[in-house]
Amino acid sequence: MSYQIISIAGFLYILAMPVYIVYMLTKNKKLGFVATGILFSGALIHIYGFIQRFKEMYSINHSFMRSIPITNLYESLIFFVLCIVLGYLFIEWKYKNKTFGVFVSIIAGITIGITDLLGITKEVQPLVPALKSNWLLAHVTLSFIAYAAFAISFITALIHIIMDTENKKSFKYIFSTSSLGFMFFMFVSVILDVVTSSNPKSVKIFHSTLGNPSIAISIFSWLALFGIIFLFWALSNRIIKIFESFKITPQFLEDVTYKSIAFGFPIFTIGGLVFGAIWADQAWGRYWGWDPKETWSLITWFVYAFYLHAKFIRGWKGTKTSMIAVIGFLVTMFTYLGVNLFLSGLHSYGSM
Amino acid sequence: MGKIDKWNDKVWNFFASVDLAVALFIIISIGAAIGTVIPQSIEPEPVIKFFSKFMSISSAHKAYEIVSLFDLNNVYHSWWFTFLLFMFALNLIVCSIDRLPSILKSFKTPPKPYPLEILEKMPIKSTIEINYDKILEKLKEVFKKKGFFLHLFETKDGVQIQAKKWSKTRLAVYLTHLSILLILAGALMGTFFGFRGSMNIVEGTGLSFAISDEGKAIPLGFEVICDNFEVEYYENSGIPKAYRSYLRIIENGQPVKENIVIEVNHPFKYKGITFYQASYGFQPTEHAEFRFSYIDKKGKTYNINTRFEEKFKIPGTSVTASVIDFSPALGVDEAGRLFNMATDMINPAVLVVFEEKGKQTQQWILSKIPETWETPYGRLRFNELWGAQYTGLQVRQDPGVPLIYVGSILMCIGLFICLFLRPLNYFVTVSKNKITFYSPTSKGMIEKHIDEIIKEMKGDKA
Repeated sequence: MSYQIISIAGFLYILAMPVYIVYMLTKNKKLGFVATGILFSGALIHIYGFIQRFKEMYSINHSFMRSIPITNLYESLIFFVLCIVLGYLFIEWKYKNKTFGVFVSIIAGITIGITDLLGITKEVQPLVPALKSNWLLAHVTLSFIAYAAFAISFITALIHIIMDTENKKSFKYIFSTSSLGFMFFMFVSVILDVVTSSNPKSVKIFHSTLGNPSIAISIFSWLALFGIIFLFWALSNRIIKIFESFKITPQFLEDVTYKSIAFGFPIFTIGGLVFGAIWADQAWGRYWGWDPKETWSLITWFVYAFYLHAKFIRGWKGTKTSMIAVIGFLVTMFTYLGVNLFLSGLHSYGSM
Repeated sequence: MGKIDKWNDKVWNFFASVDLAVALFIIISIGAAIGTVIPQSIEPEPVIKFFSKFMSISSAHKAYEIVSLFDLNNVYHSWWFTFLLFMFALNLIVCSIDRLPSILKSFKTPPKPYPLEILEKMPIKSTIEINYDKILEKLKEVFKKKGFFLHLFETKDGVQIQAKKWSKTRLAVYLTHLSILLILAGALMGTFFGFRGSMNIVEGTGLSFAISDEGKAIPLGFEVICDNFEVEYYENSGIPKAYRSYLRIIENGQPVKENIVIEVNHPFKYKGITFYQASYGFQPTEHAEFRFSYIDKKGKTYNINTRFEEKFKIPGTSVTASVIDFSPALGVDEAGRLFNMATDMINPAVLVVFEEKGKQTQQWILSKIPETWETPYGRLRFNELWGAQYTGLQVRQDPGVPLIYVGSILMCIGLFICLFLRPLNYFVTVSKNKITFYSPTSKGMIEKHIDEIIKEMKGDKA
């Protein structure tokens, strides 16, 4: 089955993370190649799994355009991971710099892990009539390509804030280091969740750590979380030094953040908002209906419009704009996952 | 007079400012977000139920009062949200009128050489020492090859070149802003000159009006008749694969359109009114009839339509039969008992009682299971229960849609030009053996660009 192949890819993405870390600590070039190799082979296997899943869907739907596997929550999460890994590999190749690999494999690992939890179905499902439209392909793929671009801008913006903020007690500094610490903790926790549960489908996220039935383990996990966050906060000078040794400058980070947003924003506008509106117009008879998903896409759009206006018209520079980029991605994630988890609406993978 | 002018300026500058735009981004976002959390309902119950999850019932009632005071249960149509969108439009218009003329003017005014002090203050500066007689010619050639427009000036410090590319793309921002205004105008047109409603038409009947979202009847001026409605399901599942209505339109007693088929994602338009397949449901009526096909032993097929508990003859025999029970989705449980799975017609089935010379036999006939069609008196296929389902249509008339489409296309074009074709500006001073590049914008790409130009010049020299 396709999801087993994709699980192997997911395992490779997770494996790439420690290798990237060791590479950054030792600066051993061979390890760098190994890390990229692992991530790259993960992407190849992932693409192979994607094609297999396409075939499985084709055998049900008998239509090329209707068989692209992006129709339910599992498939969309997986596609998002593929976009971010390919996007990152492109950046790594273009800038000849492997320092973001750790963060990309953390995001990929968390996302892959989540597909094993929360009871998300991995089976190929037949298409409901509303999804039978050629707009599905254009709307969903472009949206996720934009999400992946925003994810990359999130990583670079976070590192930028940490590198370029002098005052360690300022909100944005504590916020950014805690975000990194939390992502790191979540990465480990999600892996533990998947590994320790006999039937992962029934397990909630953080089941093995923060929400463990054993109070001792739960308290220990909370302490570990705060410990990690504190470490990230306290040791950030060392982390910054590592980045500096890889010739990462705040200017470069700001530049990559901007470029990812400048790439993602028009794609999100055209694919997410415009194509979504056209499709809604044809399927439901309204191009805009303030459905929660639509509303939150508009909010996402406003945040990134804010970023671009602050940067170009107001001439904002430095960590202030990066903070908007960070908030932008958090809003994006809420549009993507939060709306489905917490609010009700029309978008298909609403029920899980 | 002076005071009024000052005030005018202040108001104008307020509406032209980016600060207002940014503030509106934030306030509109927060307002819209509230609408996704608090149930949007004119009825009080859902709102009170929502708040009672977090507080006591009496506080929930109070919360509802506050909510309804600020229209938080109807955010997107509230006076304050409309006002914010109006401000947003005004901001866009004033801001464009404020800036556009000076940009247009800058295209027309002939460029002037910049004093060296200003160039020295630019964030990007890159100098190379080069000894080459035709330095100027070479530089011009490289720039032109890269598609730049050049202006040359003789100054006291040597030659100054101003190289520009894609400078007109600065106008694309205004295209994007215009597109937002078009979209808002389209939305406004839809609200004032259009309507939205729904119709539930039972198979075999017609309706000449739609019910608006507010519950009012909207006459269409013609009648829509639903001749048939069908749902296709995926094999062995209750997931609908497709559903479609067969419609016909009658105007002034004359049939004007026939054989209309609409499906989800495939609407139909007549006289500016569009009909969308939206939903369906079960609704038994008096005119409902069970439709059978009887195939006798010679292979001849007869169509039989009958009502509930109405006796009909099996052709060519002395047997009479009648339908005495119906199930929309008959299933068999583990113990072999029959049970009804759902109210949707996933697998409609009828219990038919046959009567021959006073002897009665009963048999369930399932429309999707051919084995159950075989009866002792020949093959009796149950086709459908017609007239017991309604088709739910969305009806819309919206003259603003073309504007929305035009606005959307312009927005995409505008954004792509704005973000991918940013204007490039270089100032180059050339003296006997030194070239200095300056650029007013500090983007990583520009430094790379300068390096490229330098490389190309040097490469040619070698």
